[in-house]
Amino acid sequence: MSFKWKRLGENSLFLLPSIILTAALGIYPLLWMLRYMFYDYAGYGEALFVGLDNFSRLMRDGLFWESVGNTFVFAGGKLLLTLPLSLLLAVILNGKLRGGKLLRGIYFMPTVISTAVISVVFYTIFNSYNGMVNSLLMKLHLVSQPIDWLGPKHAMLTVILVAVWGAVGNYMLLFLAGLQSIPQDLYESAAIDGANAGRRFLHITLPMLAPVAQMVMMLAIIASLKGYESIMVITEGGPIGKTEVMYLYLYKLLFPVSTGSPVAQQIGYGSAVGFASAVIVGAITGLYFFLSRKMNKVY
Amino acid sequence: MRKKWLGLSLSLMLAAGIAGCGGNDSSDKSSTTNGKSDGSVAAPSADKGQPVQLKYWTDDRHDQEYIKELINKFNDTNGDNIQVELTVMSENYTQSVDIAFSSNQAPDVLRLKSANTSEFVKKGYLTPIDGYLTNDMKTKFGSLLIDNVNRFEGKVYSLANTGLTMRLVYNKDIFAKAGIENPPVSLQEMVDDAKKITEVGKSEGIYGFALNFKNPKQAFDRSIREILSLSGYQGLGFDMKTGQFDFAPYSQVIEYFKQMHKDGSILPGAETLDIDPLRAQFAAGKIGMYLSFSTEPGVYKDQFPTDIKWAGTLAPTLDGQIKGTSEIVSAGTWLGISAKSMHQEAAWKFMQYMYGDDVLKTYHEKGFGIAIVPSILEQAKNPEIGGMEGFLVGEHDSLWPASPNVTPEGSNYADAFFKYMIAGGDSKTITADLNARYNAALSKAVEKGEITVTPNPGFDSSKPQDK
Amino acid sequence: MNEQALSQQSGRNRKSRARPVSGRAGRIVGRTLMWLFLLATAILTLFPLMMTLSGSLKTGAEMMTGGSLLPAKLQFGNYGEAWKQANFARYTWNSAFVSIMVTAGTLLVASMAAYVVDRRDFPGKSLYVAVQASMMFISVGAIVLRPQFDLMVALHLNTTLWGVILILISAHSSTFFMLQGFFKAIPRELDEAAMVDGSGFIRTFFRIILPLLTPGLGVAGLFAFRHAWNEYILPLVFTMTNPQLQTLTVGLANLRYGSSAAMQIHLMMAGACMSILPMLLAYIVANKTFIQVTAGSVKG
Repeated sequence: MSFKWKRLGENSLFLLPSIILTAALGIYPLLWMLRYMFYDYAGYGEALFVGLDNFSRLMRDGLFWESVGNTFVFAGGKLLLTLPLSLLLAVILNGKLRGGKLLRGIYFMPTVISTAVISVVFYTIFNSYNGMVNSLLMKLHLVSQPIDWLGPKHAMLTVILVAVWGAVGNYMLLFLAGLQSIPQDLYESAAIDGANAGRRFLHITLPMLAPVAQMVMMLAIIASLKGYESIMVITEGGPIGKTEVMYLYLYKLLFPVSTGSPVAQQIGYGSAVGFASAVIVGAITGLYFFLSRKMNKVY
Repeated sequence: MRKKWLGLSLSLMLAAGIAGCGGNDSSDKSSTTNGKSDGSVAAPSADKGQPVQLKYWTDDRHDQEYIKELINKFNDTNGDNIQVELTVMSENYTQSVDIAFSSNQAPDVLRLKSANTSEFVKKGYLTPIDGYLTNDMKTKFGSLLIDNVNRFEGKVYSLANTGLTMRLVYNKDIFAKAGIENPPVSLQEMVDDAKKITEVGKSEGIYGFALNFKNPKQAFDRSIREILSLSGYQGLGFDMKTGQFDFAPYSQVIEYFKQMHKDGSILPGAETLDIDPLRAQFAAGKIGMYLSFSTEPGVYKDQFPTDIKWAGTLAPTLDGQIKGTSEIVSAGTWLGISAKSMHQEAAWKFMQYMYGDDVLKTYHEKGFGIAIVPSILEQAKNPEIGGMEGFLVGEHDSLWPASPNVTPEGSNYADAFFKYMIAGGDSKTITADLNARYNAALSKAVEKGEITVTPNPGFDSSKPQDK
Repeated sequence: MNEQALSQQSGRNRKSRARPVSGRAGRIVGRTLMWLFLLATAILTLFPLMMTLSGSLKTGAEMMTGGSLLPAKLQFGNYGEAWKQANFARYTWNSAFVSIMVTAGTLLVASMAAYVVDRRDFPGKSLYVAVQASMMFISVGAIVLRPQFDLMVALHLNTTLWGVILILISAHSSTFFMLQGFFKAIPRELDEAAMVDGSGFIRTFFRIILPLLTPGLGVAGLFAFRHAWNEYILPLVFTMTNPQLQTLTVGLANLRYGSSAAMQIHLMMAGACMSILPMLLAYIVANKTFIQVTAGSVKG
C-alpha cells in the first residue's frame, strides 16, 4: 500500500506544477473567454448578458472578415517565401561548406532580435519619402520614382517581407536539425550508385525529412497565422486596413491603439472574436494535419 | 566536449537565476516606495515622521521639467509633510489608468484631458472637488465650468488651466516660392495652393500638404475638427441642435482632401506617417502646410529646430466664410483627484498649489499651453516662443460643449472617410452608414444610462457656450 | 513506383550523356550561383542590422530626414544617452531576471512532467497529454491577458515581475513535447539500475537522468530564453502601471517617444544594438552543440 501511495505522491509532485500552471493560466483564461463572449462587457462595471448578440455582430462585422482575408494573404505569403528559402539554405548548409558556420550564424541573427524593436527600424527603412530602400533603388536606377512601400498597394508585401526576414533563420535551423538526423550512409550508398545531387535530394533527403518537415510546417503555419507584433509597429494595420490581421484586430478591440481619444475596451465582443479566430486557426491546422498525414509515414 | 559546454552554460543560467531571485526582491521593494525610474522624481526630504505619499500621474511630456521643478518646490515647502511623486506615463495612458484602478495601484492625482474625463468619471475613478472649492476659486474658474467636460451631474471634478488651439501650419518660404501671397481661407483655395506648391516643388521633393494618416483619427481630429467648427459645425460629427450624429458636413470636407490626394499634392507615404516624422519633414522644408495643435511652436523650438519661416493661421473653412468659432480643445480640465486615494485632503492641497496664479501664469508664459482662465490671461505675458503668435486665443476661438463619446460597431468615422479618400466609394452611402452606426451606438449608450444627450435647437455655433 | 523508377532511369541516361560535354563548367556555374544566392541572402539579412548600427550612430535629425547610408559624424554619445534615458541598467536587469527565471522554471516544470509521462502510467495520462497538445494549437490572442491579469491581481503578483514570469512558464507545452522526445532516447535500464542501487525516484531524476538530458535542456532552454527575452506584448500590458518594471523590449519601443514627445529613433537603435548582445552571446555559447542537438527535439 505504501508503495502505491508513494508512487502517486511522486507522480503528483512531478506533475502538479505543470497542471496547476496550465489550469490557472492556460485553461482558466479560455473558460473566462467562453463565458464573456455571451456578455456585453467594457472591462469595468457590470457585464450584461446578451446571448448570441456578439456572434450576430461578428457575422456582419466586415472589418473582421476583411482581417481574416488579410491573415490568409499574410500567412500564405510568409509561408510561400519562408519555407522554400529556409529549406534551400538548410540543404546547402548541411553540406560541407567553407564558411558554413559563419553563414549559419548570420542567417540566424534576425531571430535573436525583438520583433517589436526591429520593426521600428523597418519602418524607417521602408519609408517612401526618406527610406533607405527607395534611395538605394533609385541610386541603382532600378526605379525612377520612390515606391510607396507602406502605401495601400504595397504595405502587405512589405510586412510579409519583414516577417520572412525574421523567420527564415529559425526554420532553416529546424530543417537543418532534421537533415542532420538523416544517416550519412544512405547518401554514401546512393553516391556509389551514381546518383547526382539533385536526385539524392529528391529520393533521400525529401522523404527522410518528411516527418520533421511536417512538424516544422505545422509550427510555421500556426506562427504565421498568429503573428501580429511587427504589423502593429510598422503599420498599425493600415493604411485603410490593408494589413489588418485577425489577431491585431482583436488586440485593438482590447487595447485601442489610438492615444488621443479613449475608446472603450470591448471585452465581450473581443471574446467572441478571440473564439472565432481560434476556431479558424484550429480548422486550418486540422486541415493541414489531415492533408499532410502521409508525410509522417517514412518508408 | 559539447555536453560540457551546455552543462556549463545551463548551470550558469540556473546559478544566475537563483542569485537573481534574492536580488530582485529587495530592489523591487525599494523601487516601489521610492520609484526613481524613468520619468519619475522623488525627493523625499522628510525626516519628521511619516510623510504623506502622493502619486501624480500624467502623460504630458513637453512640460516635464517645469512640473518636476514645481513638485520639488512643493515637496520642500509644504507644511503638511506631503511628498508628491511624479510619474510620466508614455502612450497608453488611459489604459494604464484603467489597469491601475482595476489592480489597486491607482494614483492620487491624475492629469485629466477633456477627452478622457467623462470616461474616468463614468468608471468611478474620480472624486468631486466641490467640497474643497474656495469662494476665490469659484469666481476664478466659475465661467469655465462646463457640463460633461469638468462638471458631471452637477458635481465638479476638475478645473481649467490651458487649452489647445488648432491652426493651419504653413511654410512661408514655400508659399512665396509658389507665388502664393496668403494662406488659404477656403478649402478650395487650400486644394489649389497645395497643387501649385507641388507643381513647383515636386522636383525637390516638396509637396503641398501632409497629415499623420498612420492613425486617421488623430489626423482628422487635428484638422477636419477645426475646419468644421470654424465653418459652423461640431468637429466630431455631432449635431448639437438635434442631439444626433450627422456626418454630412464631414463628408463635404473630405471631398477636398480627396481632391488633394487625387492631385498628388499630399506627401507620398503620408498614409503611414506618424506626427513626428511629419514634423521632421516640415522642419526640413518638404511640406507646404498641415493642420495641428498649438503644441507645434514648442516642438520646433526644442525637438526639430528649423531655419524655415513658418506660421500658424486660422484653418480654412468650407466656403471661406467664418460662420462658427474655432474650437479650443483639451480645455476645461487639468488635474483631478482619485476616488480611491487615501489622502484626498493632501491631494487637494497639492492641486490647490498647482492651480495657483503664479504656476498657471508661468505655464502660459513658457508656452506649455495657452491659458484660458480669464484672470490669468489678464496678468500673463505672451509666451516667449517663436511662432506662438498665430496660435493665441483670439476673437474666433471658443470652447464648445462636449460631444458624446461613443464606440460604434465597425470602423470609426476617420477610418471610413480615410478609406473613401484613398480608395474611393460612394460618399452618400458611407455617410448614411456612419450616421446609422453612430446613432445606434448613441441610443444604446443612452439606454444603458452611460450618456445623457439634450438636443439644443437654439445652438449657435458662433457663440457655442451660450445656453 | 514505376514512374519513379522510370524517371530515375531517364535521369541517369541524361546525365551520363551530358557529363563529358559540360560537367565541369556546369559545376562551376552551379557553385557560383549557389554562392551568389548565399551571399545575397546574407546581405539582405544583415542589411537591416547594419542600418540599425549606422542609425545608432546618427543624430536624431539625420535619422528623421533620412537618405544617408552612413552617419555624417559618428555619434557614440547616443549609446550613453540611450543607457541613461532608457534606464537601461534597470531594464536589462528586468529582462535578464524574467528570461532567466522563465528559462529555469520552464525547464524544471516541463522536464519533471515529461519524465513522469514518459516513464510511468497513471490515470488521466492521455488527457494530460491531449491538453498539453491543444495548448500548443489553441490561440485566442490577446483576450487571455485580462483574466491572467485579474488572477495576478488576486494573488498580489501584479506589482512584481513574477506575474509575467509565471504566465510565460505556464506556456511550456512545446518544451514539454521537446523534452519528452529526449527522454525517450534515454534507456529505461538506467533508471532501473539506479533504483536497484537504492536511489529514490526524485533522486534518480535529478542526479542520474537530468544530467543526461543536458543537450535537450540546452536547446529547449535557449528557445525559452529567446522567447522570454523578446516577448513584448505581455510585459507591455503588465508593466503599464509600473514603468520601473519594464523589460528591455518595452523600454526600447517606448524610447521612440522621448522625454519631450519627439521620436528618438537614433537612441532606440543604439539601445537595440546593446540589447542584442546578451542574446548573441547566448547563441555563440550554445552554437557549437546547438545544431546537432536540435534534431531530436524536432522529431519528438
